[in-house]
Amino acid sequence: MQWFSSFLVLALLSLVQALSSTGNRLLVIVEEAAEKTKYSKFWGDLEGRGYKLDFQSPKNEKLALFLHGERKYDHLLLLPSKSKGLGPSLTPNLLLQFIKQEGNILLTLSADSPTPTAISSLLLELDIHLPPDRNTLVVDHFAYDAASAAEKHDVLLLPQPASLRSGVKNFFGGDGTIAFPRSVAQELGNTTPLLAPIVRAKSTAYSYNPKDEGESVDDPFVVGEQISLVSSVQARNSARFTVFGSAEALENKWFDAKVKPVGGKDSKTANREFANQVSAWTFKEVGVLKVGDVQHHLSTISEQASGNDSVSQLGYLNPSIYRIKNDVTFNIELSEYSYDHLEPLKIAAQDALQLEFTMLSPFHRLNLTPISQGLNSTTFSSTFKLPDQHGIFSFRVNYKRPFLTNVDVKREVTVRHFAHDEYPRSWEISAGWVWIAGIWVTIAGWMAFVGIWLWSEPPYAAAKGKKTQ
Amino acid sequence: MRLFSSISLGLLAVPSVLAASSWGFDDGTVSVQGKKAGVGRGSKDKLSVSQPLSKSVELGPDDNLKILITTKEDKQSKRPHQTFLWIKDPKSSLDTSFAFQVKENGKAKVEISQKDIPNQLLSTSGPLEASLVIASFGSSKPYSSKAFDLSVDRDPGLPAQEKPLRYGKLPEIHHIFKSDPTSPPKIITLIFTAAVVFALPVLVASWLYLGANLNHVTKAFGSSPVPHALFFLSILAMEGVFFMYYTSWNLFQTLPGALGIGMVAFLSGSRALREVQGRRLSGFR
Repeated sequence: MQWFSSFLVLALLSLVQALSSTGNRLLVIVEEAAEKTKYSKFWGDLEGRGYKLDFQSPKNEKLALFLHGERKYDHLLLLPSKSKGLGPSLTPNLLLQFIKQEGNILLTLSADSPTPTAISSLLLELDIHLPPDRNTLVVDHFAYDAASAAEKHDVLLLPQPASLRSGVKNFFGGDGTIAFPRSVAQELGNTTPLLAPIVRAKSTAYSYNPKDEGESVDDPFVVGEQISLVSSVQARNSARFTVFGSAEALENKWFDAKVKPVGGKDSKTANREFANQVSAWTFKEVGVLKVGDVQHHLSTISEQASGNDSVSQLGYLNPSIYRIKNDVTFNIELSEYSYDHLEPLKIAAQDALQLEFTMLSPFHRLNLTPISQGLNSTTFSSTFKLPDQHGIFSFRVNYKRPFLTNVDVKREVTVRHFAHDEYPRSWEISAGWVWIAGIWVTIAGWMAFVGIWLWSEPPYAAAKGKKTQ
Repeated sequence: MRLFSSISLGLLAVPSVLAASSWGFDDGTVSVQGKKAGVGRGSKDKLSVSQPLSKSVELGPDDNLKILITTKEDKQSKRPHQTFLWIKDPKSSLDTSFAFQVKENGKAKVEISQKDIPNQLLSTSGPLEASLVIASFGSSKPYSSKAFDLSVDRDPGLPAQEKPLRYGKLPEIHHIFKSDPTSPPKIITLIFTAAVVFALPVLVASWLYLGANLNHVTKAFGSSPVPHALFFLSILAMEGVFFMYYTSWNLFQTLPGALGIGMVAFLSGSRALREVQGRRLSGFR
C-alpha cells in the first residue's frame, strides 16, 4: 500500500504541475449559478493547474474588472448568457481595456442562447465576424455525431487540429476527435496577422438560422473551411483572446462522451484534452517566450577553426560604439515557458529567428543559429561584418509568430567611420610609389644643391670685379 | 441476453431499410453565357450524378456560369436543406461554396460570374474542381461528388492581389559592400617609379657637365669646420624630422624637433654663410 500512497501523492503533485506565467486569478462569468455544475470537471482541471476561480454573475453590481486602475483578475472566462448584454461592468470597452492591460479572455458562445450584441460588436472590433442573426447554428451533414445528433446534425466531430501552417508550433494537436455541439460560426478577417483560427470546420459545413432558414439555406453567412469554430487573437502586447464557438463542448457530459462519426467506429471524445489545451494557451501557460541575456561584442575570426569556434571576443561586452566593417557577434538567450518551467526554445526547421541590423531599414537580416543550450534556455548567435555606412544602428530581434508571445528586442549602437589613422598607409598603396619616389628624389636633389652651393668653386676665372665668359 | 439481442437486431433492421435513401439530382445542366451577344462563346452541358464531365467548362471574365438541377431523394423531387456548388483549388486546397436557390419542387439554380469567385481561387493556374453537394437533415445519405472542372480565363490586365501580412520568416538580407579602391598593376607603377628615380642621376650628370664641383670643401672646413658641419647636418636632420613625421611621429613630437633643429640651422648657418661671404669678398667666388 505504501507504493500506492506515494503514487497517489505523485499523481496529485502532477496535477498541480502547471501554472500560468501571468497570474492565477481567474474570473468566470456565469449567469445562473446552476449552470456552474454542468462544467465541474473543467473547473476541477483549472483549479488543479493552480487557478483561483471566482464565479460571478454579470448582474452582480459589485463586479468590477479593475481596482484603482489595475486589473483585479488576470484572466476572464465568459460563459454564454441569455440576456441581451453582459451588464455595466463587462461592456465591450471595459473588455478591450482588460486586453490592453494584458488580461486574457476566453469567450464561449452557444447556439442555444442568442449572442448579445455587445459581444458581436466587441468581436467586430477584433475583426472576427459573427453571423448577423443572433440565433445561428453550424451543421455539417457529412461529419456529425450519429450517436447524439442523427437527425439534426448539429454536433460536429472534428479531429484535433494540425499546425496552422508550416513552421508554426501546434499547441492543440493530438489524435483524438473533438465534438462541437451546437456551435456558433465565426468568420475571421483577412488583413490582420493577429488572428489565427485554431479549429476550422470541414468544407461541407455551413451556418444557418434555424428559425428563418429551416427549409433550405440559400445565402449562408459563412461556409466550409472559412468557418472558424475556435478562433484566437493575440494582441500586440501579447494579451490573448480566444473565442470558443461551442460552450457545450466544455460540459462534463462531452468530456468523456462516446461518439460515432458517420461511417466510422465508436470513439471517445478528446474534449477534455482540447479544453485544457485551449485554456492553457489562452491563460499564458504555454507559448510564452522569455528573453534572457542579450550581448554583442567585437570579434576576431580566425581561419583555423570553423563555425562558431573560429569567433573570439575582442574587447568589452556591449560597447556603445563600433566602426564600419567591424566583425561583430550578437548573442541572445531565449526560453519558452511551458506549463510550469522554462524550456530552451526550439525553432522549427522551416522557421528562423532573425537578427536585423537596421538604421531606418535593415542593412542585414541574418538567421540566428543556436550555439548552446542550457537547462532553461538556448543561446542564438550570429557573427557578421558591419555595413560600410556609418550612423546610428540597432540590433533588432523581431520574432512574432502565431500562438507565441511577441519578442521585439532592440539594442542601439553607434557605428563610426574610419579614423584618420585607420586607412592604409601611402606606401601600402602601390599606385602611390611614383609620387613617394618623386618626393625623395626631390629631397636628394635639394641636399646635393645645398652642398654644391656652399662648397663649390666657380668654373670660370674669378677675375677681380670682372667676369669673363 | 440472447432474446434481447435478437429483438434489438429486429429493431435495427427496420430503420436500416429507411436509411437506404440517398440524395441526388436529375436534369442537371451547366451553361456558360457571355455578356457580349453573338460571341459564340457559350457552352451547355448535361451533368450526370455519377460521373464528372470529361471536358472542362471555361469561364471568361464577362461570362455567367449557370447550373440548373432538380434535387431528388430516391427518385422523388424534394428540396434538401443544403444544395451547394463547392469549388476548390486542388493545388492550394482552398475552397468555397455557393448556395443554390431551390424551389419547393426541387428545381435548383445557381448563377455565378468571375467576380463572385474569391481572388485567392482565381489566381491559380490550372482548373478548379467544381462539385455538387446535396444534403439535408435526417438519415438520408448525402451526395457530394465532382461535377466538372472549371477553368477560369482571368483577364490578364487585372493587377495581382496583394498578399496580406502574416508573421513568419522574412527573406535574408546581406549588405553588399562597396568595393575597395584598387591600384593599377604593379609593373606599370614600377616603370614610372624607375622613370622618376632616373631623373636624379640625369640631374647630377647635367650639373657636373655645367661644372659643378666641391673644390672648396677643404677651404670651408679648414676655416670654420663646426658651423659648416652643423649647418649641413641640421639641414639633413630637418629632412629626417619630416621623414619621422611621415612614418610615425605626430605633430606634437614633430614641432619641437623642427624648432630645435631650425634653431641649430639658423645659428650655425649664419656663421657658415659668414665664411662663404668671406670667400666671396676675397674673390674666390
